[in-house]
Amino acid sequence: MATVVETKELFDTVVASLVAGIGVTTVFAILVFGVSRSADMVRNERPVAAAAAGGLAVIAFAVVTAAIVLGIVVMTQK
Amino acid sequence: MSDDVIIVIVVATALLFDFTNGFHDTANVVATSISTHAMPPRIAVGYAAIFNFVGAFISLAVAATVAKDVVDADVITPTVVFAGLIGAIAWNLATWYFGLPSSSSHALIGGVVGSAFAAAGADAILGDGVLGKVLIPAVVAPIVAFIIGVVAINIVYGIVGRERPGPVNRGFRLGQVVSGGVLALAHGTNDAQKTMGVITLALIANGNLSSDSDVPTWVVISAATAISLGTYFGGWRIIRTMGTRIIKMDAAQGFSAQGAGAAVILASSHYGFPLSTTQVISGGVMGAGAGKKVSAVRWGVAGNIVVAWLLTLPAAALIGGATYGFSQLFGDGAAGPVIIALFGIAATGLAFARRLRQGPLPA
Repeated sequence: MATVVETKELFDTVVASLVAGIGVTTVFAILVFGVSRSADMVRNERPVAAAAAGGLAVIAFAVVTAAIVLGIVVMTQK
Repeated sequence: MSDDVIIVIVVATALLFDFTNGFHDTANVVATSISTHAMPPRIAVGYAAIFNFVGAFISLAVAATVAKDVVDADVITPTVVFAGLIGAIAWNLATWYFGLPSSSSHALIGGVVGSAFAAAGADAILGDGVLGKVLIPAVVAPIVAFIIGVVAINIVYGIVGRERPGPVNRGFRLGQVVSGGVLALAHGTNDAQKTMGVITLALIANGNLSSDSDVPTWVVISAATAISLGTYFGGWRIIRTMGTRIIKMDAAQGFSAQGAGAAVILASSHYGFPLSTTQVISGGVMGAGAGKKVSAVRWGVAGNIVVAWLLTLPAAALIGGATYGFSQLFGDGAAGPVIIALFGIAATGLAFARRLRQGPLPA
């Protein structure tokens, strides 16, 4: 049965899908949160909090971009 | 001479299938972006067509599976492949006509399996490959996409739920431009390869390629072109079903659904599983809907889609087998495929004429 159902490949596919799908969506939500909160803090004249939220957004943006690029690079190397 | 005529008909039919695959599955890729107003319809469709084209060049693992792991290449003839393609195209057109997002992939594999069975019996079917590479991933993948959709949308609402809706919606709409592109890329990667696999199978069967040959470059380019053109002329009936009739989505749900679909399809393509992209994306859409509110999903529509999925493999197999039997009435030469191809072109032309009468794409 193990040779019929390629258990390891199927398991790896499921894990990679869960990590990528949930992970990227979560980090993107943090990006949206950071941008939204940063704008609110600027409006409320709280520059430190605005900068912190903006920094969070920048990090989240970098992670999302890296994840997408990594995913495509992994695909092309098969 | 007869073999050459048949192989030309097979390649043309495969590319026609690829075209129908593109327009049938356009909905999968763009419906969520359109329904949340992340992109205007025309731009969304053009954008998806471009990424479908690019995606077709990323990997060939799925093409190898279709060419080598589903049916025994040694007993396959170009006429068998042709009959399988007719089974897939006929089922694609029928489900498109009724606006049902069924699986082009399963139609293709069902058609080829049915015609191979009609031609050479059960020995022609590689049961292990069909089960391990097609059927089990077909069950697992939409469930995984559903789970990702449910979990992701709950995390998203947990993170941004207290923020003002305006900036959040704008953010996720922008995100959908990216996730829609990745989803189109994933779709091109998985679906265009199925046609490449079938053309390669026919070329091997006809003696144009050895059984261990790679997919020729001209096959990759022509399949990529056909699916992207089909995507551009996409099926609006199915877009409506996918975009609004399963659930009414907000931008965060659209992003979560597209992310779920892209992740599952790209990961599966990497390992050579020829998935139904339709099933996967529908799973993501239902998950993103059910994660917010179970009753938000129109389960009756979802049930119709499930019925179409269940029917796809056997129906396409039946049509593929019947087509092979009909072509054999005219002998082993090119006469059968030529007559069927002419009939198929006429039927496809009528279907497109009817579609055009429905008017231009909404702006």
